[in-house]
Amino acid sequence: MRHWWERCLGALLLSAVCLSVSAQPTVPDCEVATEPEQALVKLLNAHRDISYKGTVLYERADNRQFLEVAWPDQNASNAPRQGTLRRLNATVNPQAEFWPSAFVPKDRVCDLSKFYSVSLESSRVIAGRLTRKLVLRPRDTLRLAHFVDVDVQTGMALAMVTAEPGGKVLERFEFAVIGYRDLPPPEVDVPNDVPIARGRGVIPGYFVVAENHEQGVFVVSDGWATASVFVEPLSPTAPSGEGAVIDGATLTYTRGTRVGGSGVLISVLGEVPVVTARLLADAVRSSGSES
Amino acid sequence: MTTSEREYETLSAMMDGEADELELRRVLDSTSSDPALREKWRRQQMVRELLQNRRISQPTVEVSSAVTKALTGRKSAISNPIWSMAVAASVTMAVVLGGQQLLVPQSNVMEGTLVSDVVGGVVPVLGAQPVQASLGARSLPVAGRQMESADSERREVAAMYERLAQDRYRNLGRRHASAAAQTHPAPYISYVRSPAASAEKPPLQ
Repeated sequence: MRHWWERCLGALLLSAVCLSVSAQPTVPDCEVATEPEQALVKLLNAHRDISYKGTVLYERADNRQFLEVAWPDQNASNAPRQGTLRRLNATVNPQAEFWPSAFVPKDRVCDLSKFYSVSLESSRVIAGRLTRKLVLRPRDTLRLAHFVDVDVQTGMALAMVTAEPGGKVLERFEFAVIGYRDLPPPEVDVPNDVPIARGRGVIPGYFVVAENHEQGVFVVSDGWATASVFVEPLSPTAPSGEGAVIDGATLTYTRGTRVGGSGVLISVLGEVPVVTARLLADAVRSSGSES
Repeated sequence: MTTSEREYETLSAMMDGEADELELRRVLDSTSSDPALREKWRRQQMVRELLQNRRISQPTVEVSSAVTKALTGRKSAISNPIWSMAVAASVTMAVVLGGQQLLVPQSNVMEGTLVSDVVGGVVPVLGAQPVQASLGARSLPVAGRQMESADSERREVAAMYERLAQDRYRNLGRRHASAAAQTHPAPYISYVRSPAASAEKPPLQ
């Protein structure tokens, strides 16, 4: 049995480690001055200012989908706003799936600039709109690279390629058709973007944005990429080990381990490299374990 | 072919990992009422274990009842602990120093690459051999037959966890999509990526 002072010391040390990471300024001293950073701000805020409807082609290995997307849903009168998605080549008269707008804190672009090198490159025309290619190259090995063709006028992402740092393309999408309208003010005064508190950092650049300690569910993000971590029971007789599968840009990493006399399965789902998933699994702790 | 012969054939297929779930359940049903079939299964299991490990760990264990239990009921493996995420400082340091080489494809790792042969991506540990960060360092060099056996076992475990990863992707993908949509500049893409909506299921045991 552990003494109370040992427990206190352990908790204190853990708090100190967490504080040393979270003590970094919440609002970085960042001036959005360069053209690429301004394009990034426009991209992140696009869903606040415009309404659109279009057809998208999405591709990844062995998978190609034609989609109809609309923002916001014209039939829904209640806020918060949500978009619709229909998979056109899945069924006849496909049902709408709903999606929320992205969370856009004002300092997000500064966070992203820390962990990605942001640049603007060539121009091209997509769905009849002039775009510039916004490139986010990761500054470390914990992230993927993103190449976004941004509508010069609206800031919308009209095409995007997600690739490994080495350049291998994992997935891409591109609008074939898009039509814009002005976005009227919401009928009900409900915040469109529910603020998500940026919690403590667990690995470089990734912050906890949601967690449920009892259920063993955690969500971390670097402001662009997101990983979800799930802790579930596993048969106590299962051997320890790890495995991973990747589908497009989404990696699923599993690790079986033992905590006390029980088996535990840690699953990490995210648009992240394997090394990031491993580190996130390493960061999982149980109140009942000494690890 | 008699019923018993068919059961024996299915049992052999099952031991070779070639039986489907329906056949597996049929054999399990039969073993509950057929002591001879149950005994044959036990003997086959012993032979298989002998071939793989050169020893028998628990010769009296009846495999069929254990498998039936695993298929029909889930066990509660964790008594409601509180989970958290902390900073793994030492591992983070390892990535900062040599993370580029940690992006070794899984297939390469599984083909028997010795940990000490991995260039970069290793953490020098004082007075010990290099160990690849967070890989569990199971692949220390051993000679001859032992290494073959260890590789085979490791491949089986890796295959099992890959199947588990596919299972969790199918079952948890939608939950991840709703979280990922919160930060992606094209939120609908998170939903497009995920498998079609389905009821969430616990992991295969």
